[in-house]
Amino acid sequence: MKTKQTLWLMVLLCTVLCGFTANAQQRITVRGTVSDAETGQPLPGVTVLEQGTTNGTSADFDGNYSIEVNSNAVLTFSSVGYAAQNISVNGRSQINISMAIDSQQLDEVVIVGYGTQTSRKVTGAVQQIDSEELADIPVPQVTQKLQGRLVGVQINQTTGKPGQGIQVRVRGQASILAGSDPLYVVDGFPIVGDISSINPDEIESISVLKDAASTSLYGSRAANGVVLITTKSGKTEQGGFSISYYGGVQAVPQKGRPDLMNGTEFAQFKKESFEDLGLPVPEPFQNPEQYGEGYNWYDAMFRTAPIQSLNINWNARGERSSVAIVAGVFNQEGVMVNSDFKRYSLRANSSFKLNDQLNLGVSVAPTYSIDNLPSSDGAFYATNVNAGIPGGLVTNAMQTWPILPYQNEDGSLPLTAWIPGISAFPTPNWYRAAKEITNETKSLRVLGNVFLEYQPIEGLRLKTSINGDFGNSSFFNFSPSTSSTTFAALPPAIPTSIRRESKYLSWLNENTVTYAKSFGDHNFELLGGMSFQKYEADNSQLFLSNFPDDRVRTIQSALNIDRTRSFNNINEWSLTSFFSRLNYDYKGKYLVTFALRRDGSSRFGSNNRWGNFPSVSAGWVFSDESFLENTDWLTFGKVRASYGIIGNNNIGNYTQYALVDNSLNAVFGNSISSGAAVTTLGNSNLGWEKTKQIDLGLDLRFFDDRVEFIYDYYKKNTTDLLFNVNIPQESGFTNFNDNVGELEFWGHEFAIVSRNIAKENFTWNTNFNIAFNRNKVVSLAEGVDRIFAGGGYAAITRPGEPLGQFWGLIHDGVYDNQQEFDSSPKAVESQVGTIKFQDVNGDGVITYGNENDDRTVIGNPFPDYIFGLTNDFRFGNWDASVVISGSVGNDIAVTNDQGTTNLDGVFNVLRDVKDRWRSPENPGSGRYGKTTGATFMERDWFSSRFIEDGSYLTVKNISLGYSFPVKETSFLKKARLYASVQQAFVLTGYRGVNPEISTTTQGQQSNALALGYDWGAYPVPRTYTLGFNLSF
Amino acid sequence: MRKIIGIITLIAAGTFTSCSEDFLQLPPEDSLSQTIFFQTQSDFEQAINATYGPLRDLYNTGGNSQGAWGMGELTSDNTYYKYNPNYRAVQDGESIADFYVNDGNGTISIKYTNNYLIIARANQILALIDEVEFDDNAVKDNVKGQALYLRALAYFDLVQFYGDVPLHLVPTTGREDAALPLTPATEVYTQIMNDVGEAISLLPVKSAQEAGRATRGSAQMLLANVYMVQENWASAESTLTSLVGSGEYDLLGDYANVFDLNNKNSVESIFEVQFLEGTEGFASTFPYNWMPEPVTAEQVAQITGVPNSQASNQQGFNIPTPDLLESYEDGDLRETVSIDSIDTDGTYYPYIKKFWTPHSTPGITGVNWPVYRYAEALLFMAEAVNEQGRPGDAEQYINAVRTRAGLPGITGVDQATMRQAIMDERRVELAFENKRWLDLVRTGTAQAVMSAFGDRVKANPTDYYFPEGFGPPAAAFTNIYELFPLPAGEALLNPNF
Repeated sequence: MKTKQTLWLMVLLCTVLCGFTANAQQRITVRGTVSDAETGQPLPGVTVLEQGTTNGTSADFDGNYSIEVNSNAVLTFSSVGYAAQNISVNGRSQINISMAIDSQQLDEVVIVGYGTQTSRKVTGAVQQIDSEELADIPVPQVTQKLQGRLVGVQINQTTGKPGQGIQVRVRGQASILAGSDPLYVVDGFPIVGDISSINPDEIESISVLKDAASTSLYGSRAANGVVLITTKSGKTEQGGFSISYYGGVQAVPQKGRPDLMNGTEFAQFKKESFEDLGLPVPEPFQNPEQYGEGYNWYDAMFRTAPIQSLNINWNARGERSSVAIVAGVFNQEGVMVNSDFKRYSLRANSSFKLNDQLNLGVSVAPTYSIDNLPSSDGAFYATNVNAGIPGGLVTNAMQTWPILPYQNEDGSLPLTAWIPGISAFPTPNWYRAAKEITNETKSLRVLGNVFLEYQPIEGLRLKTSINGDFGNSSFFNFSPSTSSTTFAALPPAIPTSIRRESKYLSWLNENTVTYAKSFGDHNFELLGGMSFQKYEADNSQLFLSNFPDDRVRTIQSALNIDRTRSFNNINEWSLTSFFSRLNYDYKGKYLVTFALRRDGSSRFGSNNRWGNFPSVSAGWVFSDESFLENTDWLTFGKVRASYGIIGNNNIGNYTQYALVDNSLNAVFGNSISSGAAVTTLGNSNLGWEKTKQIDLGLDLRFFDDRVEFIYDYYKKNTTDLLFNVNIPQESGFTNFNDNVGELEFWGHEFAIVSRNIAKENFTWNTNFNIAFNRNKVVSLAEGVDRIFAGGGYAAITRPGEPLGQFWGLIHDGVYDNQQEFDSSPKAVESQVGTIKFQDVNGDGVITYGNENDDRTVIGNPFPDYIFGLTNDFRFGNWDASVVISGSVGNDIAVTNDQGTTNLDGVFNVLRDVKDRWRSPENPGSGRYGKTTGATFMERDWFSSRFIEDGSYLTVKNISLGYSFPVKETSFLKKARLYASVQQAFVLTGYRGVNPEISTTTQGQQSNALALGYDWGAYPVPRTYTLGFNLSF
Repeated sequence: MRKIIGIITLIAAGTFTSCSEDFLQLPPEDSLSQTIFFQTQSDFEQAINATYGPLRDLYNTGGNSQGAWGMGELTSDNTYYKYNPNYRAVQDGESIADFYVNDGNGTISIKYTNNYLIIARANQILALIDEVEFDDNAVKDNVKGQALYLRALAYFDLVQFYGDVPLHLVPTTGREDAALPLTPATEVYTQIMNDVGEAISLLPVKSAQEAGRATRGSAQMLLANVYMVQENWASAESTLTSLVGSGEYDLLGDYANVFDLNNKNSVESIFEVQFLEGTEGFASTFPYNWMPEPVTAEQVAQITGVPNSQASNQQGFNIPTPDLLESYEDGDLRETVSIDSIDTDGTYYPYIKKFWTPHSTPGITGVNWPVYRYAEALLFMAEAVNEQGRPGDAEQYINAVRTRAGLPGITGVDQATMRQAIMDERRVELAFENKRWLDLVRTGTAQAVMSAFGDRVKANPTDYYFPEGFGPPAAAFTNIYELFPLPAGEALLNPNF
């Protein structure tokens, strides 16, 4: 261990010392004129940079420039739309240059880990999106704006809760228990959690690093991919001021709402159930027609709601300083009653040139948000986590009897929705509960950064930075007497309240050295660095109950503090890292990069504390070879290959420790004594998950760069999966945390960017991407041949198959008559008229729930392919764009049907339950059995009846804009008005409103082992907005 | 210059590296880790307290998947369920009562896992206690005795219901030692007797022990029970003789007082699972599972005595059978203490009354669970001497119990008559205390009694609380087993099963 570390330091030192081998050079002034190669006209505004330094200038209006540089410096001339050129000064004082048009981003600067590269030299799989492309999309989270744009990155909106529910998976990445979310790095700082709290308008560009060579510098946190966020900085010379605003309305589309029985149909259903049982029909169901349409509880929960966003940008750049300020207000009312999200944000980025060698940067970005989000998602029996307060409000509303009102004629709200002695479950008025439960979170997050950069000599940069990410949030729930949970007592309930306070601080100190140097056509760039990061969090919760009434909600008015639900958690982790990278290229044609990171983490077991994460990549720009020089149709061609090892350290902060729970108290007589026991087993060998990834890529540009084609093949093998291996409970424990097993991921990604029409007054660009992501379990823990997830509605994970396959019986209709019953395999409880399943194991009987029962794989939540298609048009002053994203071949398990097709008559059900089996003469559609026997098989035995094809094509956004012509000299520089429709429409065979749905029974985001469950969730609304952008 | 910077960098890097191991050492602050626990007397005192915890879950759990009462009482002919066609999430409970249980049944799993949780916690204590200095060695003996008693009690419960089970005697450390092969029941019994024998020598008598903890008497009663199961009548008699002769126990004057909240851990109590009314998480809820649902709020209030009660429309379990009601002799004072009835839908349904105690919040009661009572010790004694051919010697013991119940004594009967009288007495005296099923198994009568019971249920389902037109499934009562399958989840994980 020690020797390895020493070795590492040597490498680092070499990197540092190398810098000092170069001798100071003589300074000279270089002058010249830049002109357009085609027209010969002078080119204003061309940037002239001394390579490897920040020393630079730009050409004036007549194309003239002047710069003081070292006599052997290399100058880089670049300008938007022109091919950049590197010219060695070689002591000359006059260099004139003509720039050739380079139609596209060929030499676009791409943000990569710990630096930038021109896209030509990138040897990994990196995709960058500039936020300008995303400006018109009226959503609060930047990841939501990226839907359909990124090749190989699946972005699903699993719930429509304002400001919530975006799941990002890079290249099908999945882990069994460690997280699968990418690492988000904001301006070089790996932040805590995701970027949902960041105002999208603060963002300049987003760069997604997908392969191991691009991500390996993030070491033990890189395996899920890395998303680099660059925020806005002062960029224009004269400074600018701009305002952007949009406002609009959101509504749940009609298509996709559940097709439930109305009042008459439901009463008829109940009436028939009693008749079929041979029991007298209770009075409320004797005359179904009296109810007419009844009450649509689902519709009652939703409304048309406004959304607004205002952003003000100001930026300036002077001789020695630059600053950018973005201030934003976002206000969204949710389409579900009593839900909303507000965000107030500010970002100030500034940098100062202290002298020719020292740069100082300071930025601070506070965000304050307030949301009130009902526990809308999850199964009807879901409860808000850690508390016995109701969840699954959407599903509960669906299931409430439509013969009962959510609102009285006088406008008052009934307390309950049940009929004494008739209803099975005590049912509160869910509509009222949704309106009256408070679930408010107030969060303050501050991201801050200070850096100092020192350039002692040409090409050498030393940089040190301190970053901080501070968060503080307060959650307040009050469940008044009018709320209740499913299966619990009828309201009025005992009012309860939760108060949760969470705060965290994450800080990072990072020190890097870079050195760039060219020897003739050999270009080198070296990076070395070390960093220290620490995270501390403190969360506490008070669970209060027995409030005398609903009015005073303070702690002191609660008669009781429930100790079992009150707690204080302290979480900490620390990470020490060393990293280095070498980029080398010859003539910009042959490219090689080596990178190595070494991480030590507090999360890893004491025997396994340090890990090394190396990578290598290479590229060949074959279009620069002489044999292709005269090929007109091919303007650029590059092949890339990379290999690396990266890690996933999301294994929990204390998973390695055997923990003693000292709250296992006991009663003796009438007194309580404290008790403690070991409740988890420790593992001092525990380590990170390891991913080896190969990437092969091809970049081509045709027809003067009008068409660009990018292809990538990847294969990832993740080993040492963190796995909570189930062990038999005879041990006194349920599981043991270990690194076991192997998952394999592979896929093909294609992207085509085409400028179909590029006339002065009319342009049309198309961007299409498609990715085929696959995964397979190679092995699980020794002695483990399957893992179940998803509760009773199981998903199975077995070696040789993809993760989380739906596991259930094959629905085979209903036993229509005695003859069919006698001649078919059946379960112990089967009867004529009950659901029929296939006898998969061929033993003549239908069994469920034991080891060799008749369950089999009945569906796959992973798509065959995902795609995105963006079309942008510009005609004169008009512009338009359409963004589409889609997924094909994935299944959804509509487990919500457990309630909404429940044949016991305890809930309202789907309209098609009308066509159930009632008698041999009246066997119905074959989808549903009779109401009078063994209904639990239909309800609780997971079968193919619950599975639906989840393929979809969603038109995510359509926007149309008009830019008003403004005079060049006017105060107003730009004025644009636009209209936009978000979530415009969804083409899908799935019956729900959001085919991207995937939650747990408790309405939480599901992990890779149990994807694709529809337990009911907040629907994703359609949003219509009008907006404008003004620049001054 | 170059050298200076080089040296500074080297020093800086060295400093960072040497302190980085400390920087990376972050044990949890909000809970204890094992490395710093089990060091002091207080640690072990807390550890033994936690070992009692799973008993509450084992005896209290209700709903469809049940605690000890599911396999201990509902299986027997003492209680049944009240079928509700409108509430069908009841397969675990019904299949237990109707003898078509499968290994995925939650009730089986609850018994299994809670017992092994007790065993694991006891093993932690027993593995480490001898190496730790205690301030007071009497405390060490006491803690160790309790651990041995609880481990023996758990294994005894397991071996009676499952037969061969894995025998864990040291703490599990990882995946390798988590799954053990099945140990034959005879060897499990040997271990139980070793543990309980040692516990008897270590534990203080009841009057010297904190109320509610295991005592020497608890261990003696457990050992006697083991001997009864093994039909080792002489050893049972001698063990019970020292229990009875200890002077620590007596019957309370009135049967109704036995379950009174004021008589928790009374002179009649040998071992009770401790509950406490309140929201701290120690409340008993089990009586709430035994109402003849569906019941209205008013009916619940009538049963529970709590005015602001809520209706419950699920299915009632552990409903006393007509057979049990029949088996009370005329004039038996225990019948009205144990059972009451209520009109829920135009028909009167019996329900278990004896565990209802006054409480203020619906669903939260404080009644303890009697695992061993002195009345049972007396009936064991009667049985042990009768089985040794001394029915006359049995009379004083059985009659002590009968007298309290307001019944005449039994005198001058032969061994077989006395045997039957003792079984009948056990049935009513210990009704709903999870004794009936194990008595049937132990005496080899389970097969005959339960088959006949099943025939009666199938012949007259409405007598057994089925609505008109309903009855148990055809498979019910066709295979009367004496042991339950090991839980499916465990079989999946233990390659030895």
